[in-house]
Amino acid sequence: MSDFAIEATQLVKQFPARAGTGDKPLEGEASQGPEKKRWQFWKKKPQALFTAVNGVNLQIQRGEVFGLLGPNGAGKSTTIRMICTLLEPTSGTATVNGFDVVKQANEVRRNLGTVLAGERSIYWKLSGRENLEYFAALYHIPAAIAKKRVEELIERMEIKDRANELVEKYSTGMRQRIAIAKALLARPPILLLDEPTLGLDPQAARNLRELIATLKAEGHTILLTTHYMEEADLLSDRIGIIDAGKVIALDTPANLKARIEQQEIIKLEVSGWQEYVGEKLRSISEVSSLVARQQGEADLWEVNLQSHNSRAVLPKIVENISQNGTRLVNMNVVKPSLEDVFIHLTGKALRD
Amino acid sequence: MNTTLQPQVLGKTGLLSELRAFYAVLRREWVIFIRYPSWVIALLIWPLIFPMMYILTARALSGPDGSGLKIFMANTGANDFIGYIVVGSTVWMWQNIVLWDVGFALRNEQMRGTLESNWLSPTWRFSYLLGATGTQVVSMFTFILITALEFGLLFGVRLHGNPWLALLVTLAAIPSIYGLGFAFASLVITLKEANTFVFLVRGLVMIFCGITFPVTLLPAWMQSIAQWLPQTYLIHGVRAAAFANASLVELLPDLAALLAFGAFWMLVGYFTFIWMERRARQTGAIGQY
Repeated sequence: MSDFAIEATQLVKQFPARAGTGDKPLEGEASQGPEKKRWQFWKKKPQALFTAVNGVNLQIQRGEVFGLLGPNGAGKSTTIRMICTLLEPTSGTATVNGFDVVKQANEVRRNLGTVLAGERSIYWKLSGRENLEYFAALYHIPAAIAKKRVEELIERMEIKDRANELVEKYSTGMRQRIAIAKALLARPPILLLDEPTLGLDPQAARNLRELIATLKAEGHTILLTTHYMEEADLLSDRIGIIDAGKVIALDTPANLKARIEQQEIIKLEVSGWQEYVGEKLRSISEVSSLVARQQGEADLWEVNLQSHNSRAVLPKIVENISQNGTRLVNMNVVKPSLEDVFIHLTGKALRD
Repeated sequence: MNTTLQPQVLGKTGLLSELRAFYAVLRREWVIFIRYPSWVIALLIWPLIFPMMYILTARALSGPDGSGLKIFMANTGANDFIGYIVVGSTVWMWQNIVLWDVGFALRNEQMRGTLESNWLSPTWRFSYLLGATGTQVVSMFTFILITALEFGLLFGVRLHGNPWLALLVTLAAIPSIYGLGFAFASLVITLKEANTFVFLVRGLVMIFCGITFPVTLLPAWMQSIAQWLPQTYLIHGVRAAAFANASLVELLPDLAALLAFGAFWMLVGYFTFIWMERRARQTGAIGQY
């Protein structure tokens, strides 16, 4: 058996691309003359492909909380879907508790509890209890044990008073608790949580983070995907940063932040932001990266700069910003966060 | 090696647990079905509406003295034109409802977002389709029973034959009717939309299987197509058993044809499902709406 709870080696997933979006040219298309094309009219064209996951390697220890971090479309969910057997890798291998995700898919499913992103993974026309009883049967839990287990999870998720109500009457947080209870039904050693706090209110998200910490203490291995930096920082023993289908950094949160310790992070709040101001700031030699994003509806922008020498660069920043209607509202020099690590590695913000 | 104590998995896969999972799917479908109250109205109204269209047309065309009906009955060999029409139109509705209900069972799960959630479990995936079918069979036989009661009570339709033999022919048609539904359900997952195919199949049944007229009235080329459609044998067999007092021996050709078509369509349905399941894993079609 593999030493790792989850191990992925050179995992690749390619999908047929929509017109104009493929990452591979159509084979031989450019070299074909009109004569040859005519004769091959009836033949199927070579399919253009889009690579969603491109050679991902992961080794997740037993009992570890591993955060997979990346922006939308980075390949997080595709990686999760391959690990939980919903998708077959184009190439490469992955094992869960030593079982191959393609050749031993059923064993993988028995060893995994998965919560996929979104709140439609349970039946809204069934009650919370009926949902759990139903999924207990699907996970082949014997009837007598299932009954006890469902009660246990209803207590644990604090939904006892409303367990017999239809899920359609639940709040988003309650639905998410049922989805997590469903994943825990068969007491799987490994949990895959895909964006588990997405759409939850702050209190529900905090409760869920506490639950994840408890599950880790109980010995579960947890693979967590999120695009909330603070969440990944708080919960994860190690973090893999994924961008454009590749793991571009993998380490503990502390070590990742230490990578850019010599960098100083300058956070600005600017009104009337213009893109040409950004170009001017980027051209300052001491500035190593810059990301600007609008805050809400107002004309207020958060500008994140990284520099080796904030003392030298600050006057130049102020000088370049305060012109043509652009106004500096606030400015801070802060310690690097995981988000800054991400910006440093990719040149873009996580929530872009 | 990390020595962290892992939780022990509770479930154990075996025939009994697979049967329990199948029952759970069936029960879930049933509970959700009855929680939409409109099903009661559909079950009472629909058995009447569709046959009524043909029955009223037949009355209108039969002339002021109804003599046309005598000609119709002479041509068809039927002693009750209402019963004759009801059998054909009910078979048409059966196939039509199966295409919508069973054919879209997986697609509806996909759109609801629960298909992936189900497929994450170690249960045999064909059980999801079988479970949905089980519930559909129960509701469809209730539909057929209500049809018989309504036309018996409201229109005085009486059987002139053995109802158990009519039931036997109906049961023999289940594999072919639902096998087509399985194949259809699998294709819909990939194609996402299949209304055109539903219209095509039910159109074929309407024209070629003689739902309101004897197949012998069709031109020869159409009759040769009709003999490849199991619904032709179902309609013929039920009419013969229920209204022409046919014996089991007389029904054997219809029963044999239905069972042969049943075996064929069940295999087609199962292997289309296996093909779709594999393809969906390769393309990610399961999670796409």
